[in-house]
Amino acid sequence: MPSARVVKNRTEFEGKIYEELALVQGADIPAWSADAELRHVGRSRLRVDGPQRVSGRARYTTDLMLPGMLHARVVRSPHPHARVIRVDAKRALALAGVRSVVDRTSAPELFDEEVHYVGAPVAVVVGETEEIAADAAHLVEIEYESLPFVVDLEEAIADRTRVQRKESYSRGDARRGFREADIVVDARYTTSTQLHNCLEPHGAVAQWDGERLTLWESTQAMFDVRKGVAKAIRARLDDVRVICDYMGGGFGSKLGHGHYSEIAAVLAKRLGRPIRCVMDRREENLVTGNRSATVQRVRVGATKDGKLTALEHVAWSGTGTEDGWVASTTGPSNGLYEVANVRSEQFLVLTNTGPFSAFRAPGYVEGTFALESAMDELADKLALDPLALRRKNYAKLDPQSGKHYSLKRLDQCYSRGAELAGWSRRKAGGTAGRHAYLRRGMGVSTQVWGGGGGPPAYATIHLNADGTAIVRAGLQDIGSGTKTAIAQIAAEELSLPLERVRLSIGETDAPYGPASGGSMTTASLGPAVRLAAVDVRRQLLEVAAGLMEVRASEIHLTDGHAVAGRGGKKLALDEVFSKLQNYTVIGRGSRHPNPEDVRLRSFGAHFAEVEVDIRTGAVRVLKIVAVHQIGRIVNPLNAKSQVEGGVTQALGYAVSEGRVLDRLSGHVMNANLEDYKIPTVKDVPDIVVEFVPDLDRRANNLGGIGLGEPPIIPTAAAIANAVANACGARVRTLPITPARVLEALRR
Amino acid sequence: MRIHLTVNGLEREADVWEGSSLLTALREDLGLPGSKNACEQGECGSCSVLLDDQLLCSCLVLAAAAEGHRIRTVEDLGKDERLHPVQRAFVDAGAVQCGFCTPGFIVASYALLRDNPEPSEAEIREALSGNLCRCTGYGKIIEAVRRASREMYR
Amino acid sequence: MKSFSYAKVATAEEAAGLLKQRNTRLIAGGTDLLGLMKERLIEPDRLVDVNGIAQLRGITATKENFRVGALTTLAELAAHQATPLIIKEALADAATPQLRNMATVGGNLVQRNRCWYFRSAEHRCWLKGGPRCLAVDGDNRYHAIYGEGECRQVTPSDLAPALIALDATVVMRTDEGEDSLPLAQLYVAPTARHRREHAVGDDDLILAVRIGGDALRRHATYLKFMERATWQFAVVSVAASARLVEGRAQDVRIVAGAVANIPWRVKAAEDLLAGEKIDDARALAVAERFVRDARPLRDNAYKVAVLRELVRRAVLRLKD
Repeated sequence: MPSARVVKNRTEFEGKIYEELALVQGADIPAWSADAELRHVGRSRLRVDGPQRVSGRARYTTDLMLPGMLHARVVRSPHPHARVIRVDAKRALALAGVRSVVDRTSAPELFDEEVHYVGAPVAVVVGETEEIAADAAHLVEIEYESLPFVVDLEEAIADRTRVQRKESYSRGDARRGFREADIVVDARYTTSTQLHNCLEPHGAVAQWDGERLTLWESTQAMFDVRKGVAKAIRARLDDVRVICDYMGGGFGSKLGHGHYSEIAAVLAKRLGRPIRCVMDRREENLVTGNRSATVQRVRVGATKDGKLTALEHVAWSGTGTEDGWVASTTGPSNGLYEVANVRSEQFLVLTNTGPFSAFRAPGYVEGTFALESAMDELADKLALDPLALRRKNYAKLDPQSGKHYSLKRLDQCYSRGAELAGWSRRKAGGTAGRHAYLRRGMGVSTQVWGGGGGPPAYATIHLNADGTAIVRAGLQDIGSGTKTAIAQIAAEELSLPLERVRLSIGETDAPYGPASGGSMTTASLGPAVRLAAVDVRRQLLEVAAGLMEVRASEIHLTDGHAVAGRGGKKLALDEVFSKLQNYTVIGRGSRHPNPEDVRLRSFGAHFAEVEVDIRTGAVRVLKIVAVHQIGRIVNPLNAKSQVEGGVTQALGYAVSEGRVLDRLSGHVMNANLEDYKIPTVKDVPDIVVEFVPDLDRRANNLGGIGLGEPPIIPTAAAIANAVANACGARVRTLPITPARVLEALRR
Repeated sequence: MRIHLTVNGLEREADVWEGSSLLTALREDLGLPGSKNACEQGECGSCSVLLDDQLLCSCLVLAAAAEGHRIRTVEDLGKDERLHPVQRAFVDAGAVQCGFCTPGFIVASYALLRDNPEPSEAEIREALSGNLCRCTGYGKIIEAVRRASREMYR
Repeated sequence: MKSFSYAKVATAEEAAGLLKQRNTRLIAGGTDLLGLMKERLIEPDRLVDVNGIAQLRGITATKENFRVGALTTLAELAAHQATPLIIKEALADAATPQLRNMATVGGNLVQRNRCWYFRSAEHRCWLKGGPRCLAVDGDNRYHAIYGEGECRQVTPSDLAPALIALDATVVMRTDEGEDSLPLAQLYVAPTARHRREHAVGDDDLILAVRIGGDALRRHATYLKFMERATWQFAVVSVAASARLVEGRAQDVRIVAGAVANIPWRVKAAEDLLAGEKIDDARALAVAERFVRDARPLRDNAYKVAVLRELVRRAVLRLKD
């Protein structure tokens, strides 16, 4: 048995670096080399659970119907700030089928006396059906004392009590840098609140068996749900088992447990029956998180020939009522370009709106819009090609740490992207469309992100008598295809057909696994799975060697056979399996720490081509080219799909999505899928996706890092830059609506 | 109230509340959770079913109004392990990510190809414009419909 | 949704009888009604399902008369070969395929407006009996740019402007039998005493919509502006029609949707085109005249620019 040891590891998660201790076992192995002949990894494989998902057989948390299950509906505050004076549940309780109504008096652990946003929970109604509970929720009479509130970000920024400085960064001397500049761009950018709108709503189903709670939850992070719920209900970690079989999207909003999880857990225990608490679409838009709206000021100074001398980025992010953390909006400015003098500040701003949460590359999406728009404004002033300006300030070393990157092929992303986009067709001032009122333009923008993953992550693989392998890991599949990638990695090392690898995942009674977030799932778990498979293979070879009467060190596995030497004896694995009767070969693997001497980052470039109707302000995105560098791609088909999906969410963010708040009542006015406009199939342009083929061999034993978030990061700025190129309208506010284009054209 | 309807070829009956939607009846009373509940307001298409061969949002049909009608859900398209060509094409094209919107897209694509065996890209986009997807970005979904068309009618 | 009783009827007479009961609503396609009920904006005690009334379904078309039954779905209307092109254009971008398979012509014409203050159960706006219109000081990016009334909601229907551009009439059932009125008269600016955007009551039964032969022969077109490619109620829409006599426009109708409490016409703009040849300059002049009296709110000045351009383009398309 390999010995265990504790190691220190630095992991980048959602734009921030965390240093943690982790337990690892054995020793790591190097990544497959570029010329290794791989039969599964690096090849497009169909989703292993595709048939379940297309046939309606996949069971999501919302599909769970347990015998005796009751339904919980939350009664929510219509006030953005108020004190709850009295809750009268008499009328609700009188309705047939209502089993319980709880509020602060009867369940102080679930509710606060003061509510701080519209949608904050005040009471819960439990009924025999969802409809009864929803009906009764309207019969709960609540008396409030209204308190003063602010929902508008700009208004809140002006109120010092609502603003906290959370991060600041500097290198060199920004003031001196600006003195050295020939040209300075100083611009203010604002972005709207983006709502996740995962198709599967947030929710949980709780059932108790004695002191043990089973919680089915639609989550990206089962272990964090377990931890959060156990703490909230004061249970032992081990007494909470979280199950997430299929889940319908999260995008960062399902990283922790929800209030619904606590409601389900607490009330299931009290009432002695399973409780289902699932949000409706309005709640999804009110209370389950969002991407912060921002106000940002970016100053960039440069010499006449385009060398950056100073960069200053100050960001205010509206976090709603969340006052713990804020996303790193200034991250891209701190680390993307080679510029000696940088100063940045990140402020958290509290408003009386629903709490924000992680949303696919939190901060970097907002910050990249501002930084990469400012870079184009600078290129414009310098009369330089935007791509040339970016190349001129290309950072070969990580500007923050001075370290080498484990891999950086951003230059290739630029050149390949330019080729695919036809960048040479771009003209300053744009080109003509089919009518005089249609103008066409092109824009570029850059992506930088972490996603290297890291420990802790563990897997075991059981090889069974029928020659199938079961990978067991504490993994949930958010829909990105992690399951398939994991199966490919195991099949590769075990030299098995993909269909012989089964996954036993989706619950916390399993080896600890990472969250499906931070672009780190495959990069964290994959290397552990590979080591577990190597462990199985080693044992299998020992068995085969015995049967072949050779030394284990003399044989290797290839194509489903144990082969001794070159052209030597061959033994089919199936034969090995059949010779053994009842047996289980158990392999173990853990994720080893990341290298200390290099920085792991992914890079990419997006190119947008748009057509602007200068009379109506309508923007039509014609084409997006996305070229990314993450090292090895485990499954090109699913990776492309991931990029297309990220670009599409970014497209919505760029041109049509944005929460609308009523300043006077504090309500979200577009909390539905008609008024909150995510892109439809008719909005999506031609999306061309490519990956730089080079491997990131230093990163981990797969040779690649994560892809979940990179594709959403640069698109909005590429579109804004294309609009400016097309018609001269520099829109510094997202989304780029017709109203804003027309306003910018008037300036 | 008691309703009688034909669901996926079988005569079924269910006791429903007057205000129940057909979607709720299918999911909770008839044991068919394949049709998904994502908005309950006819805005996302996740609950798409065929009612007397018409594609519609089952969340905006009263279960009571479905009395005496024929319903087909995603569960009826592929039987057991044999997927319908539309379902197979969604898997093969990589048109599925989280899969929550997928049943609705499958039913809408099926309805399209039933009426129009070789749709143009514009016709595909039009036919699927009532279905929202938040993960895949639609490109591979369009590709899946093209594949299914080839598979079914070649 | 509150509990209610539910009855299916087979004849218009039966429906009319039941609809006289207190707090009773008819349900056809249900796409708007159920939304309103789910939001608890209306809480009827009884629903009368009229879908079984066969006589209200289907299209009769001759050279001189186009009649569409109120229960005909938008999809059926869009697919019918005799349906005027402008109607097909209007329906092409209306809602979604699923909703067009469900929604009926009658329901589309009397659907309630989409103002988000009106649609929010937690806002007591003027139209719902409150003291003032919440859009005036609220977020009014989609609201009215014309009209004097208190309420700033706008017409949501794609069908209505197109039908009005063809002088359609609506056939209603009355106690005496059938009665018809110009469709335009169905829409009224709400007043303090009639806080409702339609002239009809909840117990009125729409039987059909009719278009006469003259209008059927007009050149006509419908343009809709949205902020995404589909699945949005119009931000601005324009329906235009005219008869062309030796290249000159006669019987000009220009009807804008989503800009006022009612489908909006500007007679002076129509007059500018009457008897004239359609060219770029004329189209622009007509468009300028159409928007001259627009009075946008804080957030919706862009709608004036969009409307001007849509009118201009619609007029130019009448040439073809």
